Amino acid sequence: MLRVTATILATVGSLLVASAAQADSLRVGTECTYAPFNYRTADGDLTGYDVDVAREVGKRIGADIEFVCQEWDGMIPALLANKFDLIVASMSITEKRLKQIDFSAPYRVSIGQFVARKDAGLALFNADGSVNPAGFEGIRVGLERSSTYEEWMKAKVPDAEIVYYDGNEPMYLDLAAGRVDAIMTNPMKAYLKFLSDEGNKDFDVVGPQIEEVEYFGIGVGVGMRQGQEDLKGQIDTALKGMTEDGTLNEFSLRYFPFPIYPQQWAGTN
Amino acid sequence: MVSVVGWIDDYLWGTLVILGVYGVALVLCILWGLLGAAARLFGPRWLQPLVSLYVTVFRGTPELLILLIFYFGSAVTLTAIGQALDPDIRYLDIPPFWAGALAISFIAGAYLTEIFRAAFLGVDPGSIEAARALGLKPLPLFFLVRAPQMWRIALPGFGNQAISLIKDTALISVVGLEEIMFTAEMAISVTQEPFVMYMVVAFIYLALTTVITSVLRRLERRANRFQEVR
Amino acid sequence: MGLNLDLILDTLPRLMSGIGITLGLLVYSLLGGLVLGSLLCMALTSKKPWLRATARCYVTFFRGTPALVQLFVIYYGLAQFPILRESPLWIVMRDPFWCCVLAFALNSGAYVAEIMRGALSGVPKELGEAARALGMRPLAIFRTITAPLALRLFLPPYGNEAVSMLKTTALASTVTLMDLTGVARTVVAQTYAPYEIFISAAIVYLALAWIIGRLITRAERWASRWQEAGVQS
Repeated sequence: MLRVTATILATVGSLLVASAAQADSLRVGTECTYAPFNYRTADGDLTGYDVDVAREVGKRIGADIEFVCQEWDGMIPALLANKFDLIVASMSITEKRLKQIDFSAPYRVSIGQFVARKDAGLALFNADGSVNPAGFEGIRVGLERSSTYEEWMKAKVPDAEIVYYDGNEPMYLDLAAGRVDAIMTNPMKAYLKFLSDEGNKDFDVVGPQIEEVEYFGIGVGVGMRQGQEDLKGQIDTALKGMTEDGTLNEFSLRYFPFPIYPQQWAGTN
Repeated sequence: MVSVVGWIDDYLWGTLVILGVYGVALVLCILWGLLGAAARLFGPRWLQPLVSLYVTVFRGTPELLILLIFYFGSAVTLTAIGQALDPDIRYLDIPPFWAGALAISFIAGAYLTEIFRAAFLGVDPGSIEAARALGLKPLPLFFLVRAPQMWRIALPGFGNQAISLIKDTALISVVGLEEIMFTAEMAISVTQEPFVMYMVVAFIYLALTTVITSVLRRLERRANRFQEVR
Repeated sequence: MGLNLDLILDTLPRLMSGIGITLGLLVYSLLGGLVLGSLLCMALTSKKPWLRATARCYVTFFRGTPALVQLFVIYYGLAQFPILRESPLWIVMRDPFWCCVLAFALNSGAYVAEIMRGALSGVPKELGEAARALGMRPLAIFRTITAPLALRLFLPPYGNEAVSMLKTTALASTVTLMDLTGVARTVVAQTYAPYEIFISAAIVYLALAWIIGRLITRAERWASRWQEAGVQS
């Protein structure tokens, strides 16, 4: 009897908290240092893809958005400790995190793409976008040790010659120097750190963005405490609208020359 | 070369991090060396194989591998210990600074074990007997007669380790310590000038080893001040 | 926790695929270091001051900086220059293996030069003077008197240098080479069992270091074969 009462009280309590939060304001935890996703401009204003998305979601569900800067390590603990209500910080949706918190549907993709010298004439993919294993013969592909890209390569092109790196920077240096013919990486990172540099104008992405969920996960979502189905439903609806009316596309193009949101609505589960 | 100017403060911070690791590791490695040498000289018989194993393993295994074992192993061990104490703990770790300082101190400690042991045995037994005959108690005998002579014998070997130790700090960048190798990598991602940026690192280390060498030379001169001039 | 012994036994064969590269790096680097060390030793003991000063600078630089930094300067640093990338040298420098050999040999040369200089200065001068008085030519003196005696002094510290070079080859894993350490790091990234894998690798290195120690001991015995006979008679 006592337990039933406690459960009811807890449920009512969480509903109260949730509805109170939805009614007026939502505190959003983000890093504030992760350009171009969440960072401060020279004037000190918070901006970036995550920030744009959070503001727009707030507008659509009728809540004021207040940002809280939080270091990455303590992001989930701070959410659970009620220091803020949402995480909008380029956090990928993973099995491990889903045990602690809930996520909205993805608002940014987790993808892989090849980068190579423009004039290398690589034929890594067929015209229909499928992998062409013959195109990998005789070339060396760089990727990060034990990354999702390694799993994809081993599954799709088991015979390819892979060169392993411990970080992105050395990989770019070796690509520029010609020690590897192509690298597989996150195109957003490659664009920010390598392709956008004037000195590397001879390089570009090769082939399509690879979005296979089984390898790369379903993407980046908005994190929230568990048991807030109403809030999750509202945010998902807002994100769905933003995907379909081109808002997310507009936000992507502010920071990248290509879209970084899931082009097909991935649903709510 | 002009591109280096904008990064000077980052290199300076990185150098301070390195000096921090070095300070901690230097103190620890002297401690391990003294403990190891004491165990070798006065320890019970069952301890001898363990000390030999310590010395052999840490002198024969690549420094990088030892560092990786300490860094990745510490996470596994600490998490296991933590979970045994409190099942709610998900993950425990020690930061690269401490894992790195520990790892390189154990390497130098293995060499110092042998160096300190040899220094203890190298003290002229005549001087000990003379001191004893003068009625010196064991403690003053150790600090006034044995220790200064040990120090003099151990200094050259100790000096080599002190220099190896500063060079070993460069490895800790591999497990993510934000020191000057890391600064160089950051600078390279902006300037695309790996040669310049890594040469800066090389010259910082060269400056550090030069300073340490001259300090050691001064120490040796001081330790030998009562030696007869040949 | 406890160590998973089966995993250690399973891992050892996988690590063997990296031994070839480790040994290759070791042998070529040591050979290169010996050649370079001999040249540097000659320069260090030369009568020309500028040659001595140049060699001294080289030795100070390579002994005063970490091998990892030297490797990065050569591997990533030199690749920065288009002149090198367009030259025939690039065929060698493009390959991480030969880049490592170059870096390690340059490093070893500095240490070998000092060891050689020490060994040569340990040979009593009077022997050479006596031989000259007997009318022997300088080259003959070096070949029959100085070199055999210096070799005995050279081998023990060179043994330490060889073991230290074995340990240095592990740095090759930081520039994408799949040597013993490189394979171990890759397996750890897949299995998340750092202790078992890295300890297996350490066992292999210790075995290799032991073998090097034995070889050097045998060489020392060979180098002092005349001395022993002399002591006994």
